[in-house]
Amino acid sequence: MAEKRTKKEPAAKKETKKPAAAKSTAKAPAHAAAPAVSPEKSLAKEARVGVYICHCGTNIAGSIDIPAVQEYAKTLKNVAHVDNYQYMCSTPGQKKIETDIKEHKLTGIVVAACSPRLHEPTFRMATKMGGLNPFRFEMANIREQGSWVHMHDREGATAKAQDAIRIAVAKASLLQDLIPKSVPVEKAAMVVGAGIAGMQAALDLANAGIKTYLIEKNPTIGGRMSQLDKTFPTLDCSQCILTPKMVDVGRAANIELMTYAEVDAVEGYIGNFDVTIRRKARGVLTPAEAEAKGIVGGGCNGCGDCDVVCPVIKPNPFEMGMKPRKAIYIYHPQVVPLIYTVDFDSCVKCGLCVDACGDKKAIDLEMKDELVKVKVGTAVLALGYDMFPIEKKEEWGYNKYENVVNSLEFERLICASGPTGGHLVRPSDGVTPKKVAFLLCAGSRDNTGVGMPYCSRFCCMYSLKHAHQIIEKIPGVQPYIFYMDIRSFGKMYEEFYYRIQDEGAKFMRGRVANILENPDTKNLVINAEDTLLNRPISLEVDMVVLAAAVQPSEDTDRTRKLFGVSKSMDGWLLEAHPKLNPCGTTTAGVFLAGVCQGPKDIPDTVASAEGAASAASIPIHIGEVELEPYFAQCIEEKCAGCGMCVNLCPYSALALVEKDGRKVMQVTEAKCKGCGTCGGFCPGGAIWMQHFATPQVVAQIDAFLLGGEQ
Amino acid sequence: MARTKGYPEALEKKLADTRLYEDERHPEFTKTVEKISMTIPHMCFQCGTCTASCPSAPRSSYRIRKFVRRSLLGLEDEALTDPDLWLCTTCYSCTDRCPRDIAPTDVIMAMRNLAFKRDIIPVNFLKTVQAIYTTGHGVPNNDVNRAARKKLGMHPDPPTTHRHPQYIKGIQYILDYFELKKNADRIVKEREG
Amino acid sequence: MREYAFFLGCIAPNRYPGAESASYKTAEKLGIKLLDLEGGSCCPAPGAFGSIDLNVWYAMAARNLVLAEQMKKDIALICNGCYKSIWEVNHKLKHNKELRDGVNEVLKGIDMEFKGTIDVWHLAELFYDPEIVGVQKIRDSVKVPLTGTRIAVHYGCHLMKPRKERHFGTTEHPVWMEEMVAALGAEPVEYRNKMLCCGAGGGVRGYDLVHSLDITNEKLINLKEAKVDALTEVCPFCQLQFDRGQIEIQEKFGVSYNLPVLHYCELLGLAQGMTPQELALDLHGISCEPFLAKVL
Repeated sequence: MAEKRTKKEPAAKKETKKPAAAKSTAKAPAHAAAPAVSPEKSLAKEARVGVYICHCGTNIAGSIDIPAVQEYAKTLKNVAHVDNYQYMCSTPGQKKIETDIKEHKLTGIVVAACSPRLHEPTFRMATKMGGLNPFRFEMANIREQGSWVHMHDREGATAKAQDAIRIAVAKASLLQDLIPKSVPVEKAAMVVGAGIAGMQAALDLANAGIKTYLIEKNPTIGGRMSQLDKTFPTLDCSQCILTPKMVDVGRAANIELMTYAEVDAVEGYIGNFDVTIRRKARGVLTPAEAEAKGIVGGGCNGCGDCDVVCPVIKPNPFEMGMKPRKAIYIYHPQVVPLIYTVDFDSCVKCGLCVDACGDKKAIDLEMKDELVKVKVGTAVLALGYDMFPIEKKEEWGYNKYENVVNSLEFERLICASGPTGGHLVRPSDGVTPKKVAFLLCAGSRDNTGVGMPYCSRFCCMYSLKHAHQIIEKIPGVQPYIFYMDIRSFGKMYEEFYYRIQDEGAKFMRGRVANILENPDTKNLVINAEDTLLNRPISLEVDMVVLAAAVQPSEDTDRTRKLFGVSKSMDGWLLEAHPKLNPCGTTTAGVFLAGVCQGPKDIPDTVASAEGAASAASIPIHIGEVELEPYFAQCIEEKCAGCGMCVNLCPYSALALVEKDGRKVMQVTEAKCKGCGTCGGFCPGGAIWMQHFATPQVVAQIDAFLLGGEQ
Repeated sequence: MARTKGYPEALEKKLADTRLYEDERHPEFTKTVEKISMTIPHMCFQCGTCTASCPSAPRSSYRIRKFVRRSLLGLEDEALTDPDLWLCTTCYSCTDRCPRDIAPTDVIMAMRNLAFKRDIIPVNFLKTVQAIYTTGHGVPNNDVNRAARKKLGMHPDPPTTHRHPQYIKGIQYILDYFELKKNADRIVKEREG
Repeated sequence: MREYAFFLGCIAPNRYPGAESASYKTAEKLGIKLLDLEGGSCCPAPGAFGSIDLNVWYAMAARNLVLAEQMKKDIALICNGCYKSIWEVNHKLKHNKELRDGVNEVLKGIDMEFKGTIDVWHLAELFYDPEIVGVQKIRDSVKVPLTGTRIAVHYGCHLMKPRKERHFGTTEHPVWMEEMVAALGAEPVEYRNKMLCCGAGGGVRGYDLVHSLDITNEKLINLKEAKVDALTEVCPFCQLQFDRGQIEIQEKFGVSYNLPVLHYCELLGLAQGMTPQELALDLHGISCEPFLAKVL
């Protein structure tokens, strides 16, 4: 490699000795309109590239020989100026670019520093301030892909940095002026999922004056939080603090609530999403729907007469299957909206409910799914979570031993509005338990491939709360908490831990190896090690509560794909940046709220929802968004009008049009995402991918493979 | 190693320094155990699932969690000289349940291999070696059994090395290749005279 | 008729020849012919040899595997300990080139080479597999149903664990052997802590007999609580520990259970009409008479 470089030095030097001829092109107006001539011909013929090497403190300079890289850059074709600086992203660093553009009549800028995901916008702005079109900037990543991954190989990292710069210069020499396109933003937003995250996001958007569609797959809003009894560490009744918000959502003028509905299709892009919503056949008309059908004073008023007569009994999923519901049902008395739903999978269509409903004529047993289309500018996904199926961890016997329950079942069993009226009883015999064990990290922090490798994050705290609840309700009860670590990191959480220990919960530091059931008493024998005593424990208890891991809700994968959102390795949805952009996604205009991004307790969920709502409202308030100008362009004189690209385009951005008596392809720029599918395919080479044009990419490849000898 | 204080012997023992000093740690030991065991004891977070799964723990001072910890810290001497090392029944219950996907059983096996290199090994293990060297079987045939086999209409010796002793030399070659017989004989002689 | 090289190991042929005899005969009735694996040896004992030097264990087990490779037959065997050595070493050598090369370097000296051309099966899994035999065929082969008997299963450790490396599914609550017991007309009985080890493995039986028997005794207490007529297993070493072990427990701890312990092949033999004499049940340490009285 090194040998190769020294060889071509003379050639490179020759090239750099032609500064004068560049003048005329450098003065070309930087903000010219979209190319009237064929884009191919608008490439700068005489390039003058400025190269800047960032030390990033010792992040880069610690493992890369900056002077060697600088000397090397000077030898490259088209390079007119080279400099280096401690922190190129600092004000003095940016100033260098601005002044040098004028002083050295530069036509392109290369900064060799970090990932473009961090500072590309910074340096584009500096390029613009210097008087060049910002798209004449190219970044060479010598940190994430250089110094950091080759920290112990200075020579190799230096050589790789030289390669990266050579490649970047090759492209910068051929960069064109590009003008971003602005598109108007629809003044409406969508929130998918109406748990506490979705409700909060929808309320914030609505209060900011934005029309908001709130889509919920269940018949009622409220989500997981409405299933909880109390909340830690304040011990507020969960329903009591939630129902006012549910009522607000139901009444908000700016919120169009669609329950028992799901997103069916999404088209478009930021500012202009066309979303198709499937309103699942509910079998029941709202008063408004009834009125629209000419039924005066009709529609469901939630009286429940239908429920009384329905002969079909099914388990109520809201009560974790521990309480029955009918085939026509509501989850619980506080549902919003208070509209009954027919479960068509179990309905026998006997018609008794229709008779009971009488003149209200609210029930339509022939109702079919309905598709509704709406247009929104931005969307917030608040898709929530499900419990991990903890029966997969067979050693704890869930679904095998009757008195082993998961924590959400415990919430219903301890809740005053739950199936037992808040009296905690053993499922096997209805007896009040006197010894209850809580198993933390049940299926979380599990690297076996069966459970989840992550910490589910709120189990420690709700298990402390569970211990408190039984101490409060059952005199003489003894809670045991089997834990590996207690993670009480939130505000007033450690104090809560102190309080529960003081109330008498016994904390056993050891993970439970297995549980055996006494077949006669249905008591459970827990085998663990008290790792602090260094002794195995065999503890017989009346009931076991598994603080099961949480996982993305069932519908998450389908929905995220519709919105083009990625997921991270653990299955939760991928944020744009884990620290600095936790609510954003890599799809512009789509944001994340609550647990679907990763396990969160209620305070963090609400905070995340407010963040997502704020982020989602910004493009709407600005009213227009700039799209990166990476569109495909048709080189019409080369286009044969075959139309094959039209069918290939995943975004329906291409069409064939008549022009001068022949067919040529035309791009709808707002729809084009610059994916390059068409450009890579076009048999005639007639598609020009702006900023990633064939000559630019070929120059990069040549620069890499040929070591710059193009 | 524990610091000596120059006290009379009884006091030296009673007041022995129990603190863990850095020089007890042998990082190489961690690596060697991992190579032999093909598992990852350095990932242990000491939850105790292994000990609680262990059939030997409730009836002895054997704590497999402690051995994994010693392997993680490189406490070679403490691990290899602890007689509890030989109480693992290799039932693999800990391996099935370990949330960190470590195979503690195989960690024990690796440590036993390393102990043997220092001649630390219970004699019964070596007697199995001696039996196999002579007969090919760890539990060889005997006259009572031969009579029973005949009664069943079977050959008095099974079609193994018992009936075909010409195969024994292949077994002896393998054991000699690793000098196992030689070492077994030497150690047994040292212990039992 | 499917043919397998029958790897005998030590304890079945040399202590419980009835189990060996029953294996040939019961398997044949179910369409499996077990062929002599001439020159087989100790597998070698995974606890003893694995503890001393895993490399010796690999090489010794490989020698047995090569004998079957030369016969061009898969191995069938009837002992969990043998399964650990023979199945696991076969699996490891097939998938780990470095190990395989090391072992072949040793085997070269006796003109052998491990090629990885055969598979290893426990006869019990062949019996259970519906593609090979299956529970229905077992049921159909029964002539003397074991009706009215309560039989518990001891699965043993080295057949199914570690779960991830094996293919038997759950190691917490398995029931496939209970299905095979029910097929004989007996009532399979669950008992406390069914998956607990017999206590013999890992060299512990030889190293600390009372320790190992104390584990066995815990199992026997749980079995007694479940009021079973017999215990069945698929591992002659477990069998030895439960059968001879009861005599040792009587001697050392002063408690007795008189629980008959039968290898599944012996049990199957009885159900298929073999006599106790043909099964050499008189060689068992614990008399099987009370159990036989219920059956015959």
